[in-house]
Amino acid sequence: MSARRGFLRRLASRAVTLGGLLGHFAHRRRFFLVPLVLVLLAAAVLLAATGGLAYVAPFLYTLF
Amino acid sequence: MAAVLGISAHYHDAAAALVVDGRIVAAMQEERFSRIKNDPSLPRRAARACLALGNIAAADLDAVVFYENPYAKLERVVVSLAREYPRSFRQFSPALGGQLGSKLWVLDQIADMLGVERRIVRFVEHHESHAACAFLCSPYADAAVLTVDGVGEAATTALWRGEGSSLRCLGAIDFPHSLGLLYAAFTAYLGFEVNEGEYKVMGLAAHGRPRYRDELSRVLRLEADGSFTLEPRFFAHATDTDVGFSPALEALLGPRRPPGRPFDLDSNEDDRRCADVAASLQVATEEALLGLARAARERTGATALCLAGGVALNALANARLAREAGFERVFVPPAAGDAGGALGAALLGSRDLGDPRPAPLATAALGEPFDTGAAVDLARALGLAALPVADASAAAAARIAAGKVVALCRGRFEFGPRALGQRSLLADATRAESRDRLNRVIKQREPFRPFAPSVTAAAAAALFVGAPNDMTPFMTTVCRIDPGRAATLPAVVHVDGTARVQTVTEPSAPDLAPILAALERETGVPVVLNTSLNGAGEPIVAGPVEALAFFLQHPVDALVVGDALIERSPA
Repeated sequence: MSARRGFLRRLASRAVTLGGLLGHFAHRRRFFLVPLVLVLLAAAVLLAATGGLAYVAPFLYTLF
Repeated sequence: MAAVLGISAHYHDAAAALVVDGRIVAAMQEERFSRIKNDPSLPRRAARACLALGNIAAADLDAVVFYENPYAKLERVVVSLAREYPRSFRQFSPALGGQLGSKLWVLDQIADMLGVERRIVRFVEHHESHAACAFLCSPYADAAVLTVDGVGEAATTALWRGEGSSLRCLGAIDFPHSLGLLYAAFTAYLGFEVNEGEYKVMGLAAHGRPRYRDELSRVLRLEADGSFTLEPRFFAHATDTDVGFSPALEALLGPRRPPGRPFDLDSNEDDRRCADVAASLQVATEEALLGLARAARERTGATALCLAGGVALNALANARLAREAGFERVFVPPAAGDAGGALGAALLGSRDLGDPRPAPLATAALGEPFDTGAAVDLARALGLAALPVADASAAAAARIAAGKVVALCRGRFEFGPRALGQRSLLADATRAESRDRLNRVIKQREPFRPFAPSVTAAAAAALFVGAPNDMTPFMTTVCRIDPGRAATLPAVVHVDGTARVQTVTEPSAPDLAPILAALERETGVPVVLNTSLNGAGEPIVAGPVEALAFFLQHPVDALVVGDALIERSPA
């Protein structure tokens, strides 16, 4: 029961963040970027699955 | 009345800071606990230590404030990668993977880490955190505030007006035009580690001549309104993130210096060229900052300037701003970089909940207290003689005066990159061999790097031009030594005649002040060489385990832990 409550609590927390993200793009009139973010998310997942995430350069660390 | 925890994390130098009823209770970097230098991970242990010092449970927090806006950060990453497409193709997966897989969810992660309600976790903007750290900790009621770093969400530089408890943004310069990224790219070009080797570039600059100023003016253009732009073709921020600069920079200045090659500034022509490049970069950075500061003075009319962001750790530039920008007073906090963002975020959260502005920051000793009992027990378990002494300060001073190197662990460790007398290595500033022994044998640093002096505030004016001032208690500026005194302090005066001096009073450095007083009684010179208590590539010592490990691994002569003395070879 408590594990389920914890899961639901985390889910609600993520929903708050997603709401914040959508609110940000809406507020900043950047909604056109949402499809791009989704496509890039899918690309990131694919590349991660094929080992493309193994390399993270030091400068990248500062910037991204 | 509120309890607010500030958090910085995920990029470099993660930290936590606790502000209760408008009072700064604690501020600590995660690296001191994890023992990973510049540790970017969520500051679990630092947060826990802050709460323990404040005697506050996480459930009693009124707010937890993260130091930047994760949504705006994602937007900047997406937009900058898209702008550079397809050249940025290789960066898409790690950049977006890092953002969407982890950094976007940082507020949830913080709520999970602390076990608090998600609704009390919020964020402020990156540069506002820096501005708050600088202004709200300063002794000024009214000031211009400049925040200058690599990049926050989109801004790299911002001008603020601070009045009372309020901060108003008057303008910003956005990525990719960034003095922090300029300095970082040159740090990589000169063969040093980005986010770590910038101090080395500063030290190297004093050994060179700025003969590449014309070339640098093509890389960094200063505008008439005080702003600046970077010429994009010399950089590769979104395409070659190994180093951040493009082949065009090598075509302009010559080949990059290979990392790890020992420096030989006496006979290696290429090393001398690199020193000249470092000197040219330093001059260009100072002139860009001067342009910003003079514009800030003109626009705000303020007589005081606060500075924060990673670039504000450039002590040479800060000294030049104090001399030439037209302000009467300048303040730079001890943790001017991202760690300080945690404190700034906490202060903003506290202010927004109606609490008063804190008293001006008097000391950087905001960390966890040293556990002397545990250190003595551990020393004895290791077979070391930890002898209680009636006056540990006098004992330390006597050994320093005799030419010995003393490691000092007393009180609460410092917030920020400088050791200011709580976790310090101390040596005689009047002997040149102190510097060489520390550089080559104990710290294993490049021989061109200088060491800093700590001096009583009362004696500072007679030795160092312009000291004491609002920055000297925190070692965030340099001062020129009085020409007549330079020969008396050879271990702490850099080749250019400056020193990153710390002025010491009982409130600012309660554990160092009595040592300087004892040293003055012993030698007549209340000055000591003070460098951070850490080995090469390690974070500064925090507790007894690291202190004893350092003593066993490095050839220092004595270790003072609280009121006990451990000697390698008893006098």
